[in-house]
Amino acid sequence: MKRLAVFCLACAFVVLTGGALIELGPAAIDLRGQVAAQLAASGVSHPVTAVLLNFRGYDTLLEVAVLLIALLAILAVTDKPPAAPVPAHPLLQAVARGATPAMILVAVYLLWAGAHRPGGAFQAGAVLAAAAVLLHLVGLLPGWGAPGLRLRLGLTAGFALFLALAAALLSQGALLQYPPAAAGTLILVIEAGLTVSLGLILAGLFLFLSRDEGGET
Amino acid sequence: MADPLVGLVLLPLGWATLAFVLGPGRGAWAALAGIAAQAWLAWLLAAQVGAGGTARHAVGGWGAPLGIDLAADGLSAALLLLTQWLALGVALYARSYFAAGDPARRYFWPLAGFLLAGLNALFVANDLFNLYVTLELVGLAAVGLVAAAGGERQIAAALRYLFAALAGSGLYLFGVALVYGVYGTVSIATLAPLITPEAPRLVWIAGGLMALGLVVKSALFPFHFWLPPAHGGAPAPVSALLSALVVKASFYLLLRLWLGPFAPLAPAAAWLPALLGAAAIFWGSWRAIRAERLKPLIAWSTVAQLGYLFLIFPLLAVPAAFGAGVMQVFAHALAKAALFAAAGVFIQATGQDTVAGLAGAAARLPVTLFAIGLAGMTLAGLPPSAGFLAKWQLIEAALALGHWPIAVVALAGGLMAAVYVFRVLRQAFCLAPAGAPVAAVPRALEWTAFALAAASVLLGFFGVDLMTLIEVRA
Repeated sequence: MKRLAVFCLACAFVVLTGGALIELGPAAIDLRGQVAAQLAASGVSHPVTAVLLNFRGYDTLLEVAVLLIALLAILAVTDKPPAAPVPAHPLLQAVARGATPAMILVAVYLLWAGAHRPGGAFQAGAVLAAAAVLLHLVGLLPGWGAPGLRLRLGLTAGFALFLALAAALLSQGALLQYPPAAAGTLILVIEAGLTVSLGLILAGLFLFLSRDEGGET
Repeated sequence: MADPLVGLVLLPLGWATLAFVLGPGRGAWAALAGIAAQAWLAWLLAAQVGAGGTARHAVGGWGAPLGIDLAADGLSAALLLLTQWLALGVALYARSYFAAGDPARRYFWPLAGFLLAGLNALFVANDLFNLYVTLELVGLAAVGLVAAAGGERQIAAALRYLFAALAGSGLYLFGVALVYGVYGTVSIATLAPLITPEAPRLVWIAGGLMALGLVVKSALFPFHFWLPPAHGGAPAPVSALLSALVVKASFYLLLRLWLGPFAPLAPAAAWLPALLGAAAIFWGSWRAIRAERLKPLIAWSTVAQLGYLFLIFPLLAVPAAFGAGVMQVFAHALAKAALFAAAGVFIQATGQDTVAGLAGAAARLPVTLFAIGLAGMTLAGLPPSAGFLAKWQLIEAALALGHWPIAVVALAGGLMAAVYVFRVLRQAFCLAPAGAPVAAVPRALEWTAFALAAASVLLGFFGVDLMTLIEVRA
């Protein structure tokens, strides 16, 4: 009975929202046009990267902080040592060994490509993290315990660099105001730092949680 | 930090990162130095806003709607001031509260830093999507603080909190997406002139979803289910930050949208939050009166006190109602931080958390008990406290519009608050059972609790200044 009521409510909502969506005209403001008009001054030629790292770079800065907080929350609740790695079938290990250099290469390519086509730090970091998880799953990379100084520096370096540059650019007049001539270089530097740190953070979301209890997954 | 607006966001982000790099349990001094600087910046900002009107900053130099604009009007400046000064008190308290090896301390400072950064960013944000990101910052940091090194029950409470927080921000984000679909912008300043009472149906749906999401995050009855276990189970300094500031952030946002871009649509629904607020006052107070343990009692009192904030919505035609809401935010924040701080002192001294265990507290911990008394004055709304001013303005606004039931609810809620506060005080004046051990408590704990409670009463004398500040609107 309860399930039926929820189902009916959800259907009513979908019909209502869908109906309201259909009667909608064009938006009052065309942001795509504005992005296109300012793209030349953004330092990159791909509109998504221009929005993420330049026009709305402040959002991205805070989003990286959100990821860092998620990792901190996980670290705060886990205090048991990591599980010992369980070696998988040698064939799987060989495949993972072979795939890892290729994945690192893909990550670097994605980072580089972000300036002019789909790609960028988040995608590159995700590929790096996937490589680490793959190595962990075949038993070549042990789970992570409480992070040491080097790992802590690695986890925060990208965010700290982004934050420091954002603050330093206050001298240009506003937070994250890139000088147009240097914008491309600065964005690449920030994305490179973010790639490393996001890779470590995303890998950490998995590897810090890999404990004896709760099974090996 | 030429611009206090930006400094208030960057500073906590900076010291939170530093505290994490320094290592588990470290970073207290970085945090204290950072928060002290923030308190100074908030003061500068309030002076700047008071003298020169709304402060603005266009991030990246682009300007809305292409870029993101930050803005602080009187309301933002006032809440920033409250956040930094209250955080300073709680940080001083927390430094003495956590023992050297306490596992809850390992990531307290970085998480608290990110929490403050999220709150400050939320108070200066002027862009619906940027606000969503700040809501996530605040929500996740708060969940992390609740979960930190707790037992099974605490982690269960944190998970429940996480689901409520995510459902709330998910609903909000859905609404933002619909608004963007209709108008093509998420900048509040750009949206404000576009939304009219003839807006398409989709905007009404979007407004409803956003309001619902924020109400869940503010723990308004009946969405309060996650609050008592989360706030009642966390370590005392965390409970203080959560009850005092975090639930107020989503209320602030609701009020800002209600009075801002959604003002043409809002009056249609004004009575719904007020009705739920009244229910929250009665149900929360009743559960507080019945509570057997001290911290859950204080947490239920938060559910009740949040109810007052929602009573103002049908009254917003009268300026006094807006003042009442802000004054209640201030009064409750200071009083509730003081109460949780005082509860932490009792827990450390007696090793337990029951109301019955308070017997003998009057003789052994007089300063802390005095703090509870002062904070209780504010909660019950006795003069000259800030809580009194809040209720006074609320009742004045209710009577000016002829909505006397709201005045009755406010008065009845004050009486019920007096009952649960008196219950605690009465127990404290009972004689202690012979041989009950009382551990020594750092004096810094007692005096920070006292300072917070005293501030909640003394603020009553500065009501006019606060009201002048929040009158500065965009």
